[in-house]
Amino acid sequence: MGTSVVEVDLLVKEYGQLKAVDGISFEVYEGEIFAFLGPNGAGKTTTVEILECIRPFTSGSAKVLGYDVAKKDDVKEIKKRIGVLPQAFSALDKLTVKENIDLIGDMYAKHLDITEVIEMLDLEEKTNERFENLSGGLKQRVGVAAALVSDPQLVFLDEPTTGLDPKARREVWTVIENLKKMNKTVFLTTHYMEEAQLLADRIAIIDKGKIATSGSPQELISQHGGHKVLVIRKGDKKLAGMLTDKYGQTTLNDHGDIFVKVDGVSEFWKVMNTLTDMKTNNEVEIQTPTIEDVFLKIVGGRITEEGELKR
Amino acid sequence: MRTITIFKAVTRNWMRSRSGLFFSILFPILLLIVFGTIFSGVGGSSSSNLFIQNLDRVTSGGKPSDLSTAYVGALNVTKLFNIKDVPADANATSWARDALGPLGGNIRILVISEGFQDDLLGGTLKVRVGISYDTLNMTYQYLQFSLNDTEKTMFEQGLAQMRQYNETLPDRSTSLTLMLDPSDQSASVIRNVITGIANAFNYQLIGAQNVIQFNETAVTTTRFSTVDFYVPGITSAFIMTNGIIALSSNSTEFKRRGIIKRLSITPLTRMDWILGNVLSQTLLNLMLTAIMIGLGWLVFNVRIVPDALSIILIFLGSVMFSGIGMLLSGLIKDVEAASAIGNAIAFPMMFLSGAYFPLEFAPSYIQTIAKALPLTYFADGLRYAMLYKYPEGVYTNMAIVGALAIVFIILGSLVTRWKEK
Repeated sequence: MGTSVVEVDLLVKEYGQLKAVDGISFEVYEGEIFAFLGPNGAGKTTTVEILECIRPFTSGSAKVLGYDVAKKDDVKEIKKRIGVLPQAFSALDKLTVKENIDLIGDMYAKHLDITEVIEMLDLEEKTNERFENLSGGLKQRVGVAAALVSDPQLVFLDEPTTGLDPKARREVWTVIENLKKMNKTVFLTTHYMEEAQLLADRIAIIDKGKIATSGSPQELISQHGGHKVLVIRKGDKKLAGMLTDKYGQTTLNDHGDIFVKVDGVSEFWKVMNTLTDMKTNNEVEIQTPTIEDVFLKIVGGRITEEGELKR
Repeated sequence: MRTITIFKAVTRNWMRSRSGLFFSILFPILLLIVFGTIFSGVGGSSSSNLFIQNLDRVTSGGKPSDLSTAYVGALNVTKLFNIKDVPADANATSWARDALGPLGGNIRILVISEGFQDDLLGGTLKVRVGISYDTLNMTYQYLQFSLNDTEKTMFEQGLAQMRQYNETLPDRSTSLTLMLDPSDQSASVIRNVITGIANAFNYQLIGAQNVIQFNETAVTTTRFSTVDFYVPGITSAFIMTNGIIALSSNSTEFKRRGIIKRLSITPLTRMDWILGNVLSQTLLNLMLTAIMIGLGWLVFNVRIVPDALSIILIFLGSVMFSGIGMLLSGLIKDVEAASAIGNAIAFPMMFLSGAYFPLEFAPSYIQTIAKALPLTYFADGLRYAMLYKYPEGVYTNMAIVGALAIVFIILGSLVTRWKEK
């Protein structure tokens, strides 16, 4: 692990009785993609905006790139060094892609060449297109370009793919993967499990203002994801009953799929051998647990497409 | 530097917005053309109709008497009236109504009575003799102590004869009858002109000299038309709406869409942002002024040349109304509510402040309301600066606009949130 670029200690943000951020502590290391995964209202954006120095907090401490977000002089230094794609990013409608990126660039004493940034995000064809005429995915790409134009050390991407169609989402993912190659540290917030699992080096699952757990996707899955599952297609009650007798609880769904938990290689082969002995010719498949399983276990619910938690 | 960047971006964004252009530039242009055309009297006659029925004839049915003709001639010389003769034997009212037609406007009839000339001359003789008698009598009162008895008797006899002669002269006066519609707004003007000329006739005929000389000198070298009044008026009114309606709804929209938040994360300061917006408003308002002046020149042949004072005043006005706009957008979250409230403030102010109509003729309660409206001082100042070239009239208004500009820009800045809650 590299040096810490973000250090948060017992951070609290209260709105009257409500604790939007409830004493969280975490670190983000240089060069990694760190993801805050949680439903709407969990405190993701509140935390990120405290780190971006645009939201005051109640107690605790937070340092970004070694500077204290609570100190006025440090805030100036932080703002010079971070790039941000805010939640629901928008720009001046009547200005072109280039003009909007230029506008943000000109806010900094030094910035990258605009044409270079436009190329980096594959926006050449849209350079002189007005922002209002762009699709959702292109708008987000302009947002990322604006976040990168100052050549920041740390990039905050707050819900970068919310509201995008699957194709546009994948395009943005490619952009984020490229940031890592450019050696940027990325702080990502999302409510999409797949996004966090695919992109993040480390994930912190956040719910009700608290970090429920954190670690690399693999760590989280192996700790909390549960067993691998062998799926036997087109089975029946008889087969399911027999497998249950031998290997404990199995489930059969309406499509005739039988799910058998398998712990490790030896148990997998035992089940396979049983199936071979019975001369069955069913299709089989292994399902590995995902972050969604981790989330379900830790938080006790799923997140809908819109970001709402369903317990 | 960042201020200039913001200024450029905001201005460019506005210039490319059709609705922005419409309300800030095109709408005032239309208004100037409409108001200018309606009120400058293009296509209409500015003189009033006056029907004269002259009953004073030399012989019955013959030609009018010399004095009555001279009187009508004197009225004609004023060029205030479009005089039409009514035949002596006609019913003047119905004749005039027929002559005007249904849309002809107000009926005004002056009837010169029969015997006008004789009565005027006869009446004059009696007045002259009376004046001579009074003068001699007064002289006698002073002189009697230095006169001997014979001289006194002669004087007294002479005065007595003179009084007797005057008493034999009949009391004569003549009359003019003016018939007016009670709703006629020009009634008092017409009455004054007609009696004024009648008085002049009286004095002339008794040979009196004008003891009081009435001298009239022009106060200004230029004569102003209605359009002259509207150019600074409409300009000032739209500088106001640009701040209170356009800037406030734009800022609220920027805030709602997170554009202000996005900029606040960069090293841009709140002051840079506010200054950039104020500069953009100033440029827009100078452009508007130039267009209004150009339009006045091209369409109405009105030549107004703005001076340095006008430009300073436009800057101060832009700051003041931008401040009010920012105050509104800072206090109101909802875009539609911001624009509704902006309209609710701007439109009554437009009409109550004297930007469109001179307040001298407004009821006193409106004048009181107007004193509380920032636009009143701005419009007044701009009119003094652009039109009357009267710096003394500009300074007070400029001081008030300047003070309000400071107050509102500070309040506007305080409510412009550069941080979330």
